[in-house]
Amino acid sequence: MDPMDAIKATYFQECDELLADLEQGLLTLDASEGDGDTINAVFRAVHSVKGGAGAFGFEALVAFAHVFETALDAMRSGKLEPDGDALKLMLRASDVLADFVQAAKGQGVVDEVRAQGIAEELAALTDHGAGPRVSEPAPASDGGDDDWGFTPLKFEIDEPVSAGGWLLVMTPTSAMYAKGHDAAFFLREIERLSSCETALDLSNLPDLDALSPEESYLSWRLRIPGDVAETTIREVFDFVGDDCSVELTRFGAPAPAAAPPAPPIDFEALLGAVRGEPAAAGAPQVNEAHEERGANGADKVSAKPAALGGATIRVDLERVDRMIDLVGELVINQAMLAQRVGESGLARSSTVAIGLDELEQLTREIQDSVMAIRAQPVKSVFQRMPRLVREIAGSTGKQVRLVMEGEGTEVDKTVIERLSDPITHMLRNAIDHGLESPQDRAAVGKPEEGVVRLAALHRSGRIVIEVTDDGKGIDRQRVREIAIKKGLVASDAALTDEEVDNLIFLPGFSTASTVSNISGRGVGMDVVKRSIQALGGRIAITSEPGKGSVFTLSLPLTLAVLDGMVVRVGEQTLVAPLTTIIETLRPKADEVRRLGPRGAVLAVRGGHVPLIDIGVALGWRTTPIDPTIGVVLLVESEVGGRAALVVDAIQGQRQVVIKSLEANYQRVDAIAAATILGDGRVALILDVDVVLDGRSLDRPDNLLLAQAS
Amino acid sequence: MALPQILDFAAAAPLRAELAAARGAPLELDASAVERLGGLCVQVLLAAEAAWRGDGQAFQIINPSPAFAEAARLMGAQALISQEGAR
Repeated sequence: MDPMDAIKATYFQECDELLADLEQGLLTLDASEGDGDTINAVFRAVHSVKGGAGAFGFEALVAFAHVFETALDAMRSGKLEPDGDALKLMLRASDVLADFVQAAKGQGVVDEVRAQGIAEELAALTDHGAGPRVSEPAPASDGGDDDWGFTPLKFEIDEPVSAGGWLLVMTPTSAMYAKGHDAAFFLREIERLSSCETALDLSNLPDLDALSPEESYLSWRLRIPGDVAETTIREVFDFVGDDCSVELTRFGAPAPAAAPPAPPIDFEALLGAVRGEPAAAGAPQVNEAHEERGANGADKVSAKPAALGGATIRVDLERVDRMIDLVGELVINQAMLAQRVGESGLARSSTVAIGLDELEQLTREIQDSVMAIRAQPVKSVFQRMPRLVREIAGSTGKQVRLVMEGEGTEVDKTVIERLSDPITHMLRNAIDHGLESPQDRAAVGKPEEGVVRLAALHRSGRIVIEVTDDGKGIDRQRVREIAIKKGLVASDAALTDEEVDNLIFLPGFSTASTVSNISGRGVGMDVVKRSIQALGGRIAITSEPGKGSVFTLSLPLTLAVLDGMVVRVGEQTLVAPLTTIIETLRPKADEVRRLGPRGAVLAVRGGHVPLIDIGVALGWRTTPIDPTIGVVLLVESEVGGRAALVVDAIQGQRQVVIKSLEANYQRVDAIAAATILGDGRVALILDVDVVLDGRSLDRPDNLLLAQAS
Repeated sequence: MALPQILDFAAAAPLRAELAAARGAPLELDASAVERLGGLCVQVLLAAEAAWRGDGQAFQIINPSPAFAEAARLMGAQALISQEGAR
């Protein structure tokens, strides 16, 4: 990759983080929980986006960020109240800023009209808020045409106007250049603040032969008029942090004429001091410089380069994926080796067997560590949702407050990237179909603003996403009518409430009377259901008329490995996910009760659960085996249903590497995936939920429901 | 010798190499195509100018583009182009 492209890619990554911080900060302020630090953080985020954009010449992005920054600046200095309306505008501005960043990436276009409208609103905010202290318009950015008709405004914030001036010594480091910033950019920014005198310090420039082209040797001394606020100058350098040493010193008494031009040698000595070099032969001058600052009641600001702690690294995802694949192979290989050693008849206490046990533990640890590398908080998905909700709320005319919980819940990267679409659909559905209009809400005595809650949590080795709304709940009567009208169920079908609720997952079902551009095309929920099932997940609804609905989505934490119970059914070896198994037992004859011609139930601790013969359920045999000679797995499905699965024997418990059946063959009902066992044979992984649901297959009313699930 | 359009971080090393190879003879650099001039390349050009001066050879940057002139001015490196008139 071209080095500039690499730097740009890093910039865009940083942008994503900054934009997320920006939105988070604004939301915090909106919830009246923020303080000065939050406003500062928000300001810095916009400023840093703008800084990098300037370095790469994204002029439109810079221009918009500038207006945004100006408004935030006014808020920071207390001239603009961080109240609801201003923050709502700023949230929309952050959406537009994100669009600009996307456009700069070459993905998507900016809605110019919207951008201009928001830019004007922002400018109006500051115009109004700034009052009489508006200084003359700052010059437009170089080459960047402010073609939106707004005027960038600049405010003097906290520094009283005084004569004299600032002496700025700017020494970039090599790291700054390596990140794609350039000294020229900062000098240009400073010049935009005010006219200044620039002097270049060549004293450290080596001979051409000795010069290392990516090393930084130059430094600049600038004289800036004293009426520029210190914070304004420092902000220019905000986003380079320690990568550019900046020394800002006040010089000159209040009377400008008395400002003594400091002899150049002072600065060189100063520079030496900044770099931590011994100021050879310059020691007296250093002292002099210090005295000068002291005598003038100087105000010194210094940011020295500091060693950066190697806290995080960015790694190409492909490399991690490759490692995971390899570790998967290692696990299989280790299992095969263990099996062969077992078959060779070595004693369990032999050194080989002990060594193998240790190897197994190590393998397991490696696998856990590798999986942990790929685990990410769901925040990256959640943080896109506030914007989505704002946009849906805007276009439906509903008032929505989104409450998010559990953003820190970690889940494997493979799952994360496929969470976004289902959550998007569920939120759309909750707002468009779940929440009532503000008038309707007021009519039934609810607050006009509806609340949609998006929560993530870990539950028994799975990640559960819940979307809760406080809307009108599912109108079961209407759902039923529509399903009958569309021929999805028979008109005399006796359906439980739960079954009616599940009708909305049928393909081609839509209750919206008008097709909106958000949902209502009837492709929503069945697509959600299918995409979730493809991930080995499940979706469930609970709804209470008048009070709202809860959509619960449950997914495996990883799509790469699974803890399973290896069982034998007839000639086949199967793996049952351990998370679904409550207990295993061998029933006594009097605990098995016949029920109807084919059915049977098992008495377990005072209750009865259906007995399902796996061999029959999967079509491997026609008559069930006697449960008392087999083994029963007591399992529980996601929705809470229990059943007793009859298998021939249990072979053991182990972690298996999931090999997708869809990717290699096709989807098979009741089978979640496959794996390769230690002996090299393929074993199928049981989809317990489907097996449990399959009980209803022979009930004719539910044929369609079963098809939909 | 003509200077490339973009003189940024990535251009500094090739520029230094080219200049080092041209050493020992009078040099005229055509800056008419330059669209962007960054700090690192300014360093190289300044070091080259000093080197040629030390060798007693002529070193000139001719036809500076507006972008080149502006960046040189911003960075206080006007000497790079103003010497054209001086010699």
